[in-house]
Amino acid sequence: MPNVNERPICHRAEDLVTYLYGEASEADAKDFSLHLQQCNACRGEFGVFQQVHDSILVWRNEALGSAFNPAVRPVESAVELTRSVRDGRRLSALAALREFFTVSPLWLRGATAFAAVLLCALGVLTISRSWNRPVQVTNREPAVFPNSEREPKYSKQEVDEAVRAEIARLKEQQTSAPVNKGLTTRKPTGGDRRNQLANNLVRPKALRPRGLSRQEREQLAKDLRLIPRDEDELPFVLSDEPNQ
Amino acid sequence: MDLATNDEQMVERALSGDPEAFGEIVRRWERRIFALAFGMLGREEDARDATQETFLAAFRNLRGFRGDAKVSSWLHRIAVNQCITRQRRAKVRGETALEDEAEKNAAVFALPLDSSPARTAEKIERSMAVRRAVGSLPPDLRQVIVMKEFEELTFQQISEVLELPLSTVKSRLYTALRQLQMRLQKFGD
Repeated sequence: MPNVNERPICHRAEDLVTYLYGEASEADAKDFSLHLQQCNACRGEFGVFQQVHDSILVWRNEALGSAFNPAVRPVESAVELTRSVRDGRRLSALAALREFFTVSPLWLRGATAFAAVLLCALGVLTISRSWNRPVQVTNREPAVFPNSEREPKYSKQEVDEAVRAEIARLKEQQTSAPVNKGLTTRKPTGGDRRNQLANNLVRPKALRPRGLSRQEREQLAKDLRLIPRDEDELPFVLSDEPNQ
Repeated sequence: MDLATNDEQMVERALSGDPEAFGEIVRRWERRIFALAFGMLGREEDARDATQETFLAAFRNLRGFRGDAKVSSWLHRIAVNQCITRQRRAKVRGETALEDEAEKNAAVFALPLDSSPARTAEKIERSMAVRRAVGSLPPDLRQVIVMKEFEELTFQQISEVLELPLSTVKSRLYTALRQLQMRLQKFGD
């Protein structure tokens, strides 16, 4: 390529580029064509500029030839982008979020996506756990409600059946027990009392303990005879009256 | 109905709430804007990003569009500004050497397989040199040469886009060609 570092002496530089890019009118083109034949500076520059122009065209065709094949992507993405912004006028938070993701670096997008997935997983886990949580209806024996862990709800009929079974069991226990067991002197403990209270709550009226036996009644009568019937028969210990 | 009239009508429709109107403007102009951005920035990814940002900025400022200018001129101005801003940021970050290498590798894959290795290497080197030469031009010269060579705009259109006198556009193009020749001459030596 010839060197054109020096400024051209010719003053028709603008006409030169107009002619080079084919924008000169027919008359101007003819005029400049004649000028080129006479002006060495313009002729030299014209040749050099033509080479530069060709080089740029080669580069453009190479680059845009490969770049324009996926050119559909810029169109779609640009349209999509503007659409998201348009919607963003109504949903500004969503638009801001999208814009944030557009301008944020890759690592930040990845971290946010991971956090979102984690949050969703936690949410699902929490919901599933709350659905499977057992409902404690009663603290009764597991024999009566064997499946209470899995089936917390019972129908009225099931409850009635369980109560009847419990009554029958108690009745059976009572009939097989010794008769004067009730007068044993063992002091009932707190746990016994609680059990008794609980049993009384459940037990129907017919199953309540019957009255004292004959032997018990006699013993009770003896004990009661020790107490005088009238106050006069009471032995004098102290007078309530003041000493005179 | 000519294209320019349609563009202005599309803007009006977009402003009145037509959701498809701006999409149509994008479809019409994205190729040219992409070519401009590619010429200015020299990389496909950057050009794609700049194209998106251009239309995004245009959409945001749709209400600020003056009816006395053409939509195409308005879009080109936004695109040029986007490219200049991006290049300044890239310069601050010092993104040159690695990108050149990546560009070189991309160019190798873009060339046809039947090229001889020597010829392929020469083509790549030449393209790289042109790209570097264009990229090293001052922005005011680069935008003129890119609009002319990549978009094939007329001098009149360039003067409208850049709001410069016609003679200024021509003198800038002349200067740009001279500077390019000098830079490419270094490569040829």
